[in-house]
Amino acid sequence: MRRNTGKNRDKRRSHDRRPEKNSPERSARHRGLEANERAQRVVPPSRETRRFLEGIGTPRKTPFKPDPFQTEALAALEYEDVLVTAPTGSGKTWIAREEIRRLLDSGRRAWYTSPLKALTNSKYQEFIDEFGANKVGILTGDRKENAEAPLIVGTTEIYRNQLFDSLRGGSEVTADLVVLDEAHYLADEDRGHVWEEAIILTPPRIRLLLLSATIGNAHEFALWLEEIRGVRCGVITGPEKRPVPLRSAMLLPDKRLLSLLNDEGRLNPEILALMAVDERR
Amino acid sequence: MKLRMPEMPSATLLAALDGYNLLPAIVFLPTRRRCDQAASEAALTRRDPNDSRRDARRDFMRAFVEEHPEVRGHRHWDTIIRGGVASHHAGHIPAWKLVIEKLMSAGLLDAIFATATVAAGVDFPARSVVLTGADARTGSGWRPLTASEMQQMTGRAGRRGRDNVGFVIAAPGLHQDPQRIGQLLKAPPDPLVSQFRATYTTLLNLLDAYGSFASVREIAERSFAYRDFARQIVQLERSRTDSEEKIHNALKEAACDIPTSTVLGLERLIGARARLQEAKPQTRAEVFHRWLNEVVKPGRVVGIGRSGRRLVMVTEKHDGSVRGFREDGRPASFPQERIGRVYAPVYRLKEEEIERAFDEIRERGRELTVPEPRLRDADAEETDALKIIDDSIDNLLPQNADKQRCTEVLWQLYTTAEDYERASRRIDALREEVWLPFEQRARVLAIFGYLDYEAEKVTDRGRWLADLHIDRPLLVGEALEARLFNSLEPKQLAGIMAALTADEDRDYGQLELDDDIWTPLARFEDIAFKVSAEEWKHGLEPAPELNSSAAGAAVRWAGGMHWSDIVRETRAEEGDLFRMFSRTGEALLQIAGLHRNHPEAANMAAAVAEMVLRDPIR
Repeated sequence: MRRNTGKNRDKRRSHDRRPEKNSPERSARHRGLEANERAQRVVPPSRETRRFLEGIGTPRKTPFKPDPFQTEALAALEYEDVLVTAPTGSGKTWIAREEIRRLLDSGRRAWYTSPLKALTNSKYQEFIDEFGANKVGILTGDRKENAEAPLIVGTTEIYRNQLFDSLRGGSEVTADLVVLDEAHYLADEDRGHVWEEAIILTPPRIRLLLLSATIGNAHEFALWLEEIRGVRCGVITGPEKRPVPLRSAMLLPDKRLLSLLNDEGRLNPEILALMAVDERR
Repeated sequence: MKLRMPEMPSATLLAALDGYNLLPAIVFLPTRRRCDQAASEAALTRRDPNDSRRDARRDFMRAFVEEHPEVRGHRHWDTIIRGGVASHHAGHIPAWKLVIEKLMSAGLLDAIFATATVAAGVDFPARSVVLTGADARTGSGWRPLTASEMQQMTGRAGRRGRDNVGFVIAAPGLHQDPQRIGQLLKAPPDPLVSQFRATYTTLLNLLDAYGSFASVREIAERSFAYRDFARQIVQLERSRTDSEEKIHNALKEAACDIPTSTVLGLERLIGARARLQEAKPQTRAEVFHRWLNEVVKPGRVVGIGRSGRRLVMVTEKHDGSVRGFREDGRPASFPQERIGRVYAPVYRLKEEEIERAFDEIRERGRELTVPEPRLRDADAEETDALKIIDDSIDNLLPQNADKQRCTEVLWQLYTTAEDYERASRRIDALREEVWLPFEQRARVLAIFGYLDYEAEKVTDRGRWLADLHIDRPLLVGEALEARLFNSLEPKQLAGIMAALTADEDRDYGQLELDDDIWTPLARFEDIAFKVSAEEWKHGLEPAPELNSSAAGAAVRWAGGMHWSDIVRETRAEEGDLFRMFSRTGEALLQIAGLHRNHPEAANMAAAVAEMVLRDPIR
């Protein structure tokens, strides 16, 4: 922890000259001001706070080992469509990358769609680094490079447009796998319908891999996919536990840190008490 | 219940977090401006005591500028280098956001102040995520955060391989509500809700591919939104089949040689009869009430009370209440039921005319009175209709020897037939709900000749329109057909397409527009009006307005103005300009694809796209 700075010590001295805590001239405005000044002090952490912060820091390096849900998803992709729902950062992309690697190694093709141009561009770079520039192409509204490559990265809109084209007698979409990254965009008010069209119009012979944030109706969603595509769709749910555990706290104006929830998952009574005071004001 | 506490100054907040070793952090703030302010404020009072990290940031940024010159001299440059903090939101250009993301993952930043948009999309985690409130800012106020948004934000807390624990910290703020945050943290994720809808592009492409409305409808019925309906329909169909079988079996059992359809027909006739009966006035008061509804209207003089002696000239009528003027000129308002007499002439609502009206009624009131209806007259009409229905029912009933017995069976099956018909009507309504938006669009496209409604075919014109993947393709199609683009300067085309693709209510600066862009823009608006009028007539939602401030900025950008100049002169946010130009360029590239059908416009669009999609817009 960093040392107290000189500036903070000055503040403390000025604070000492302030009126007594319960003196009548302490108006509501004063209270706000004081909170501000008080905040400049560093409060020594209480026992509870120390307990809350226990274990904070950087873990030792461990070699990467795929999570069971990742290998499970890879195995399922061999014989069915797969919907992976997992929180951000838990390793959904790894599944897509390994499946693409498997396909490219056996001379097959894949399409990788993402909702944002920025994401598309960074995925393009990532895949070039991974598979080599000659294996990857990119298609967005204003960028078209190496469009005949076995792996195409592009926006979902462009992929949907290609499906339209092929339905109207244009060239077939030749992919063996289509990855829809951020598949929960289906619920986006403006653009969600494009995801739905893409899913409905993708020929059943093409394997679908949908990567989504955690959603409340994953099984219903998968059932829908099965109904309209006539292909089984497995649901792989990300790790029960977050890859990095999460703790929550409330920071108060006086810089105290209170755990937000108690061990039973209820709101910390100390915060409840503060809220009651706030209501009465 | 909210815990209203003033937001901490950003420097104080970071100092507090630092005291607990909770940095680096992503601090979510409601608006872009608050993010920028928080970052600059923090940088002013905060000094990274670690010289080597400061130098590392400087080196990193200098190297980055080599590849992305557009971030050179960015107004937040010092904030980052000196303070080790940055703001990150949609108002920044992609390159700037990229360098911040890279600095963060290189461990060179202590905090990022971000709007919630960061949470969706780009991936840069931190040790802690700080929430200053439980509400999110929308265009028109505040709304509570959703479980999914919370999940997106807390998903950034805790860097894999770099943190043992991630933290979500509720910090003081005017919209803070620890209870709500606690609930959201435990809440199950929101379900995925379909946003399937009809668009011109989808309709044209599907119709051209499959060649019939039925097939387009079939595709629409495969949507996730329709799945719920479909399930209901399957159930309804099942109950309908059950009813049908029940009827069939009952008839067979009773050895009545009557087709099932007769039973259903009977139900329909009886339903019609009941509706008619219900609508039939039963009392004199009811008849009178209906009559008043019909005859009392602005411009007529009425008499109030049973005697009808107090006269009022009616000026307005609304929901059974009437307003007007008395003879002495004072206003009057009263419920319609108080009217006892109505006079036939309809006068114009002018002052002189009103005086003349009262005189005339006083003089010849008796002969000008509208005769009141009698219950018998009203009855007669409905009775005729009922008789026709009754005759039809009689004709439906079996005429042979089994008449008595089979008629009885028919009446017994009546409620089953009712079930059948109710299910049918519900099925139709459900199916219509998905198809109607497509049908409405098909009719509009047919009016403008992009689709032959009767033949269920996309016309040649519709075929190229199907390839135009832009917002509001119909409007652009009409502009192309009117050869509007052919007469334009390249800059002007950029301006028009910008006005079309920009967000409706975003301000891209108040640059003056020359006459040479106003004129084509006005012509474009005329076309837009024509298209919107048809859309409105067919029940489609009104399209957004054209954005002329976007046109002003785009004309100058396409005219070769330097990026830093256009940012300065428009005073618009860089990120907004960037996105708007980028989308304008994409729309132009779409038009450039129409070289077969509109070669001239396509060529120009291709050239203008190049003028728009130059550095840093790529």
